[in-house]
Amino acid sequence: MVSLPGASPFEVAAIWSVLVIAFFGLAYAMFLRRQVMACDKGTEKMQDVWDGIRLGANAYLKRQLRTIVPLIFVFTIILFLSVYVVPPTEESKLRFVGYSDESLKLVIGIGRAVAFIMGSIFSLLVGQFGMRMAVQANVRVASASRRSFAEALKIAYRAGTVTGMLTDGLGLLGGTLIFIIFGVASPDTLLGFGFGGTLLALFMRVGGGIYTKAADVGADLVGKVEAGLPEDDERNAAVIADLVGDNVGDCAGMAADIFESYEVTIVSTLILGVVLFTQTHELSWIIFPLLVRGIGVLSSIIGTYLVKGSKTDKTNNALKQINKGFYSSAAISIAAFGILAYFYLGEWRSFLSVVVGILLAIVLDEITKHFTDGNYHPVKDIAKNAKTGSATLILKGMSYGFEVAVWQTLVIAVTIFASVMIYSGQPIVYVLYGVAMTGIGMLTLTGNNVAMDAFGPIADNANGIGELSHLDKDARKIMDSLDATGNTTKAITKGVAIGSAVIAAVALFGSFITDVTKVQIQMGFEKSAQLLETGIRVSVPMVFIGLLIGGTIPFLFSSLTINAVTRAAAQIVEEVRRQFRIPGIIERTVKPDYQRAVDICTVSAQRELIPLALIAVVSPVLIGSLLGVEALGGFLAGVILSGQLLAVFMAGAGGAWDNAKKTIEDGLYGGKGSEAHHAAVVGDTVGDPLKDTAGPALNPMIKVINLVSLLCAPVIIAYQKPGQASVGMFITGLVCFVIIIGAIVFSKRGGFKKVPFEA
Amino acid sequence: MSKFIYLTATPEALIASMLPPAEFGSYLSTGTKKRNKGQVIFFEVDLSQIEKLIDMESLNRRCVPKEDGKPKSSVYLSVYKTLEMIPLSALKSLYLTADNGTLLELKKTPYNSSKEVEGKLYLFQELCPVTPLVASGLTPSAFVKRLTDGSTPIVLPKLFFVDLKLGELATNPIKGSAEYLPYSNVGHLRDCLEILKGEYEKHMKTVQRIYSGTLLYRTIETGFYVGSKNELFYYPYPDMTELENTNYEFFRSI
Repeated sequence: MVSLPGASPFEVAAIWSVLVIAFFGLAYAMFLRRQVMACDKGTEKMQDVWDGIRLGANAYLKRQLRTIVPLIFVFTIILFLSVYVVPPTEESKLRFVGYSDESLKLVIGIGRAVAFIMGSIFSLLVGQFGMRMAVQANVRVASASRRSFAEALKIAYRAGTVTGMLTDGLGLLGGTLIFIIFGVASPDTLLGFGFGGTLLALFMRVGGGIYTKAADVGADLVGKVEAGLPEDDERNAAVIADLVGDNVGDCAGMAADIFESYEVTIVSTLILGVVLFTQTHELSWIIFPLLVRGIGVLSSIIGTYLVKGSKTDKTNNALKQINKGFYSSAAISIAAFGILAYFYLGEWRSFLSVVVGILLAIVLDEITKHFTDGNYHPVKDIAKNAKTGSATLILKGMSYGFEVAVWQTLVIAVTIFASVMIYSGQPIVYVLYGVAMTGIGMLTLTGNNVAMDAFGPIADNANGIGELSHLDKDARKIMDSLDATGNTTKAITKGVAIGSAVIAAVALFGSFITDVTKVQIQMGFEKSAQLLETGIRVSVPMVFIGLLIGGTIPFLFSSLTINAVTRAAAQIVEEVRRQFRIPGIIERTVKPDYQRAVDICTVSAQRELIPLALIAVVSPVLIGSLLGVEALGGFLAGVILSGQLLAVFMAGAGGAWDNAKKTIEDGLYGGKGSEAHHAAVVGDTVGDPLKDTAGPALNPMIKVINLVSLLCAPVIIAYQKPGQASVGMFITGLVCFVIIIGAIVFSKRGGFKKVPFEA
Repeated sequence: MSKFIYLTATPEALIASMLPPAEFGSYLSTGTKKRNKGQVIFFEVDLSQIEKLIDMESLNRRCVPKEDGKPKSSVYLSVYKTLEMIPLSALKSLYLTADNGTLLELKKTPYNSSKEVEGKLYLFQELCPVTPLVASGLTPSAFVKRLTDGSTPIVLPKLFFVDLKLGELATNPIKGSAEYLPYSNVGHLRDCLEILKGEYEKHMKTVQRIYSGTLLYRTIETGFYVGSKNELFYYPYPDMTELENTNYEFFRSI
């Protein structure tokens, strides 16, 4: 079935091996799932609390499916028809020799549509299955904590690894399967795969972010601040929504987000690899990245399985165990990549790019840790400023947020420069390929990263269940310790998610330039007019306008998502207050109606999906159709730059405020109840929607815009000749403009018609 | 149902109750309907030692189960000069509650003044019968003695107070670091301590006249003291590691 001209037996075997590894990764996930599911669910009281979380999570997932499935259907049709607007590439004709033009269009159209469905479903599966696994695991972790720290850690981490290995396995399976079927024609269909995954990730990120923070902020504002109830108090009507929200945001949203970065990096690498293959006729440009991914899956399996506490372990070394697994995987990967490069490639450039990617992940981890961990100077400094009030605390946090954005962006710039140096003297396509390989390297340890991230909500929920079911002191100490470790791992993986999003977007940007050039060649553009020759010229006014508008999109997105959280949190506040007035709730003789708060969050989160997705999908079409393809390149550059800076700023400042509060709660400046603590709570409340809603939503948004640009660029080139006005393009632009305005109005008002909430 | 007698510090009151200490603390902190929040600091009082001081007939008549059979939560016996009338020997354990009603019991121990450190400065939050925040160059035993033995124009019959952390300011009020101290006006605190350090005759300086009603439990240096003249009892406050191990609920609540 593999149709690769000039492939050696080793290369054919290698591709099949990668496919086997993908299935092996999935089988490992199922093996771990079975282990977790075999554990006990604790007492009746624990299961009662857990049932509330489970039902809330199911309600959210069901509603999410109802919102998303029709959109998948619409986009599938659009992607299928797109092949009739722009003909398949020359590589497709090479792959399907002897097919008539119509048959080829049909094959590529179906391939692209099926790839889109596959990308969407895989992304959905990673998010939904991962979240269900997390929900199944939390009660078992709570139960295990009554016995030992080691058992609780093992269950929590292995449940997280299920999501990690799903991400790895499905990401590898999709890309490899498409490559096996379509060979050199795979870029035509891979775009559909990437777009499907990215669009779904956007939905899950935006929906999850709004849900989790509406519940969290709403529950805290009334429960903790007004009524003085402790965290996870059973009398708080939003407590279950808050626990569900941790899964929705940090598990489903983050897993889908990293999954699409994983997907998109392989998509862009294969697109660029095919370009290099056509130039050099060396298949290694395509095979090596697939093998790197396969090795990454194997090393993640080994590394994640190493994470287990011994019977003598104390409750404070979970992070040490998790790091042991992470660094073991990294070491195994680097050694295996080196061997592969030596024996297969016979040169070190691709290997160096991958190693740079792994180093980038580690450096970004360290930078994130430095600016957001309570043990380092910045967080201590922010906490110190709490003594003079919330204003100085917020200003200090903003200052460090801006700084972390500078450092992370500089590190990424250095990484791209490393690709320039590695491929020094080679044409730009090689450099872009190097950047894409850096992305592949960075996401080598995706299994570990997602496991670390999913570990967070599992430990958090287990702690909530422990609190609500009044477990004994020793069990609670274990869960507190796991919860604290989970907060750290979540913060670290956020840094990786943002960094990988930018690298993936830069790689896509490279694919955009090469793809546009390919279409321009097909259309008979002169060499001097081709994008690879001209580059993206910011001195051209239209391009500069595109750059400026691109820079505004992340701000618009953030504005709308934060607005949505504020609105939904206000509804939760009203609901919790209303329930507190019901006789018996505060006295614990009547159980609150948890489902109502869950419904409010679910409805609010899903309502925002469509307008925000429309903005991401339609804005590149608007710019491309009105300003041209080069301006669209400028637009992408603007989106990537401001998106990266804003996302890192929000994650950094939000994480730092959060840990400044925790530092004070640990006893600094008087602990809970002190003036410093009051100020820190304000900072944390401001930072919450920044770090958990707006910031993370920018990752998939950047890539959706890039992928839509890749998809629509050929159409723009085909219908908008240089120097000629096109009525069709103008009308398209006008329609897009109206759609965006409508989406903004809808999002700002919470609907076209303001109506009171009805569950 | 048993009857308990409690002496709350701020505001000062003698209260009879049928609730044991943990439930009584939770009741005072969060209210009958659990809609309130706030700290409470109270002693359990040995009823047998004060029977002659209170109206037992009134107590027995009023402190009875409610109509629905639930225990009576509180019967106020006195709200004025209460500490003054209770013998120190009648005070049993001291109880602290966090905002959410979680309780910590501190055991009464005789005070060993020979272990006191002379020459450093102290910060005392007086809790009963008066409530200023006072900086002093006197050790806890000397502080109580000075305020209760009649040697100064201002005399208190008894004093209940807690000593708070001063960090480096205890020995170096001018240049010592105040970085980790939670007090809102550190400049003023330094001024007060500097005066005490500089003026040989000055032993006390009021730092803050009005008590906010909230004690930051994590800033307690050694513990609580209650005494009069040469009689002093001490309620040692555990360090945070010990507290985490012995009363995790309370530790998490402060």
